[in-house]
Amino acid sequence: MQQLFFFGKHTISNTLNIYIKTSNGSTLSMNLNPQWDIKNVKEIVGPKLGLQPEELKIIFAGKELSDTVIIADCDLGQCSVLHAVKTKRPVKFDNSGVFSEELEDVGSKPLCETLKDLSNNEDLPDNNQQPKAHFYVYCATCKAMKQGKLRVRCHFCKSGAFTVHSDPQSWTDVLESKRITGQCENRPEECENILNNTEPTFADFYFKCAEHTSLGEDDEAVPLFLVRSNVRSIPCLACGDVCNPILVFPCLEGHVTCLECFNVYCSSRLRDRQFYQHAEYGYTLPCPTGCEHSYITEVHHFRLLSEPQYAQYQKFATEEYVLNAGGVLCPQPNCGMGIIPEGDCRKIACIGGCGFVFCRLCLQGYHIGPCDLPDPDNTDRKDCDYNVDPVRASQARWDEASKVTIKVSTKPCPKCKTPTERDGGCMHMVCTRSGCGFNWCWVCQTPWTRDCMGSHWFG
Amino acid sequence: MANIAAQRIKREFKEVIKSEEVAKCAIKVELVNDNYTELKGEIAGPPDTPYEGGNFILEIKVPETYPFNPPKVRFITKIWHPNISSVTGAICLDILKDQWAAAMTLRTVLLSLQALLSAAEPDDPQDAVVAKQFKENAEMFHLTACHWTNIYAGGPSVNKDFDDKIKKLVEMGVDEHEARVALSSYNWDMERATEQLFS
Repeated sequence: MQQLFFFGKHTISNTLNIYIKTSNGSTLSMNLNPQWDIKNVKEIVGPKLGLQPEELKIIFAGKELSDTVIIADCDLGQCSVLHAVKTKRPVKFDNSGVFSEELEDVGSKPLCETLKDLSNNEDLPDNNQQPKAHFYVYCATCKAMKQGKLRVRCHFCKSGAFTVHSDPQSWTDVLESKRITGQCENRPEECENILNNTEPTFADFYFKCAEHTSLGEDDEAVPLFLVRSNVRSIPCLACGDVCNPILVFPCLEGHVTCLECFNVYCSSRLRDRQFYQHAEYGYTLPCPTGCEHSYITEVHHFRLLSEPQYAQYQKFATEEYVLNAGGVLCPQPNCGMGIIPEGDCRKIACIGGCGFVFCRLCLQGYHIGPCDLPDPDNTDRKDCDYNVDPVRASQARWDEASKVTIKVSTKPCPKCKTPTERDGGCMHMVCTRSGCGFNWCWVCQTPWTRDCMGSHWFG
Repeated sequence: MANIAAQRIKREFKEVIKSEEVAKCAIKVELVNDNYTELKGEIAGPPDTPYEGGNFILEIKVPETYPFNPPKVRFITKIWHPNISSVTGAICLDILKDQWAAAMTLRTVLLSLQALLSAAEPDDPQDAVVAKQFKENAEMFHLTACHWTNIYAGGPSVNKDFDDKIKKLVEMGVDEHEARVALSSYNWDMERATEQLFS
């Protein structure tokens, strides 16, 4: 017992290095004992600012912390920033002041203690038994998904010396601006008057990574708000296991997958190039059960893919964007530069890329006159001046093997020209490139008709 | 095969085994290999259809990306149906293609196929010949489908007339199945079937 006690004491005596920003603009660096309460902090900070401890407010994550709050309960990481401002409350024994209603309960618990697990639906009943909120973020510093911490600042002056009037009740409150009002303690007069008092002062919510030591107030992380703690023990729709955390799709039903299955889902769709280029959200996916209006709106969720897969995701997204904008991709192997040409010019030069000059229509080297459509039976040049064994010549060409494979085993979609392979089934082809979906006949290489159905369904 | 696909198929396999449809002998599923990549399904022909009394075997191949992509299913038992190829057994059913959703299971697939046998969708036909007959000559379609069910799926209804016609063609040196396809395609018109077979 004795030993255990000392061990425990040893760990809790680890100090937290904290910065305290004061209303006069200075920053104090302090080492705090996590077992201290806020009153202890005020007693240390007060004299440094020439104020009585009672004249101070300590603000953190949108809350004025009450004197009895213990530092360790505040979700503070190393190098976190607390804000100390001079209170406007009449100090001591004055019950008739303008702020009388606040006098009884000075300050509150920290945000992490009061906040319930946010739901994506706003209309869920407020259930006091809900567990504490957990947030997941993509942290660019750690390059991974981490637990996140919710922080608050003033919408106008971006100062963290800001208290909210109410806790956010849903993700909408957190993600959309101007939902929750509050009190700026940094420059209250300016922030309140910034729009000539036509609007209240709003809170801005943002997230930090809980894993690494804070690199300052700008060290933000992107909230992966579809990733949530599986507090209701919902099984994954794909593997059936109850995992934690999970990803909740933004469909009405709120379908759930575990993160491993989400990864498999994304990578299989990525491999088949089946992501959808959404005008508003970007290159994204819907719920795998095919629900309506279920596109993932925050594409940082695809950061859950591995690094090489995410790189491929970005490449495809860029390519789709270029193609949707009427552009072309440089056909040279290992180039693929996106080019958005001006006007209807057929001659395209890969400027800024490999320099290849090609025809916009047939994607072959630029030529004068009509496009020479490839004849599958004869891919060799006929106009060679000296004798070369055509077989050897055709084998000795860079990249020829893959070109030949593509040429032999695929046919282009008549609409979008995507090389398409047929691996069994009937002759009725549906282009799998997202946004194309063209119905065509493998035999005729034209739109699919009832005649095709009647005469050569199976070739 | 990815773990997820195998794990999921294991669960679905159990779901089918325990389902009430199995108890009623309407559907059945068996493992073909140990790693759950291939299964053998079986559905009973629904009552009041030409398929009644027959048992239809299905080949089910599970892709690595299951359940995010549909299983590949085809009929092993030869069947005369507008949405199923009489040649390859390929099935034209939207949920096995672009309408697949990750929440569907082996059980729902088997039940959907059984439903397809009850209610053909001839406007989206896999086998155009059968579809044409289905729409234009319903009685002939019914007789032909009954005959195929009898021959290939163990159905009860024997059609002596059809059997005799096939026998004649077989005696002329034609493969029995080819003879059946030709006769079925030409509404059991001996002359036209012979013409097609020997042209």
